[in-house]
Amino acid sequence: MTDDLEPLRRARPDRLLPDDPPDPETLAREKARLMSAITGPEGVVVHRRTPSIYPRLAYRDEVAALDFLTRAFGLVERRESRMEQPGGMLAWLEIGDGVVMIGRAGEERHGLFSPLDVGAPTAAVNVYVHDIDAHYHRAESEGAQIVTPLEDMFWGDRRYEALDLEGHRWHFAERLSEIRA
Amino acid sequence: MEESDGAVIAGSLETPGAFGVIFDRHGSTLLRFLARRVDPAEAEDLLGEVFRIAFERRSAFEQDRDSARPWLYGIAANVVAKHHRSEARRFRAMARVSARRPLDEDPAERAVAAADAGARWARVMDAIGTLPEAERQVLLLFAWEELSYDEIALALGVPVGTVRSRLSRGRARLTALTQGRDTTTDVALTSCDAGGEK
Repeated sequence: MTDDLEPLRRARPDRLLPDDPPDPETLAREKARLMSAITGPEGVVVHRRTPSIYPRLAYRDEVAALDFLTRAFGLVERRESRMEQPGGMLAWLEIGDGVVMIGRAGEERHGLFSPLDVGAPTAAVNVYVHDIDAHYHRAESEGAQIVTPLEDMFWGDRRYEALDLEGHRWHFAERLSEIRA
Repeated sequence: MEESDGAVIAGSLETPGAFGVIFDRHGSTLLRFLARRVDPAEAEDLLGEVFRIAFERRSAFEQDRDSARPWLYGIAANVVAKHHRSEARRFRAMARVSARRPLDEDPAERAVAAADAGARWARVMDAIGTLPEAERQVLLLFAWEELSYDEIALALGVPVGTVRSRLSRGRARLTALTQGRDTTTDVALTSCDAGGEK
């Protein structure tokens, strides 16, 4: 049968306007307001502003990626910003003052693909962390594929590189001056 | 395994701050629902209202339920109903946008005169704004939010049979409004009206 509700489905505002996800800042702010109404001003975690530049990475299985990135690389999800949709999930992950957005790969998802689709990584995410040695050991023991070893570099970083579960390349480093301090 | 919403809400009776987990899990879905129904800026305010009401009423939540989402949708639907003028404004704005800019995601649609397609969506948005409240709620929870009959019944606190009858009445009325009346829809409308609920 022809579905008489199809015109209505297609008239849904967010299918008509490509306004994609709601602003994660809105959700963080509204959550902070709710929490301060519930528990008073203490204990309210207010997220920092989203930085001016933040990358978006695509995965075939973004749910598994979320689990891996938090477990192996110590990223922290802005949980209230997560968008669950039939076509895939969008999540915002933080480390330090940086944010990375992860979502499902595909032509209809901003034309972004996983290294699994392409056969090679095409970008790297560079991240400064505290205690690079502990970070390295955690990543290794959680199954990240280490592609360059942990070493001191002449420009003043101690760094290593690893691939995540679908092959996106991550470069983790700490300033040698901070390690010595 | 994550704790069920029921367990989280039960815990929040003792430790109110635990209710934040309910916002974490459902805030973005509810924000999207509200932004589809009222002006986007107003949707943000209403989101806060929905969760404050939910928090105040949390002791009434049936704690054996896994998901609080239908319950939150029910609260949000009531909040939207109180702001029907904003909703009507949103739909009129959408009607103008869609009249101007038809969707062409379906290649078959492109073959059709674009203006026709735009006019059709404009009629849909106009029509949905004029449906009786109860029918609009059910139609939009079903078509836009993709809730099941059971979830809609839970959300609105009505029997599943009522959801079915409102849905069929709403879709008949919508078809009549958007395509102009023909004999078939007249018959459908008449029989639905005759069999009304209550």
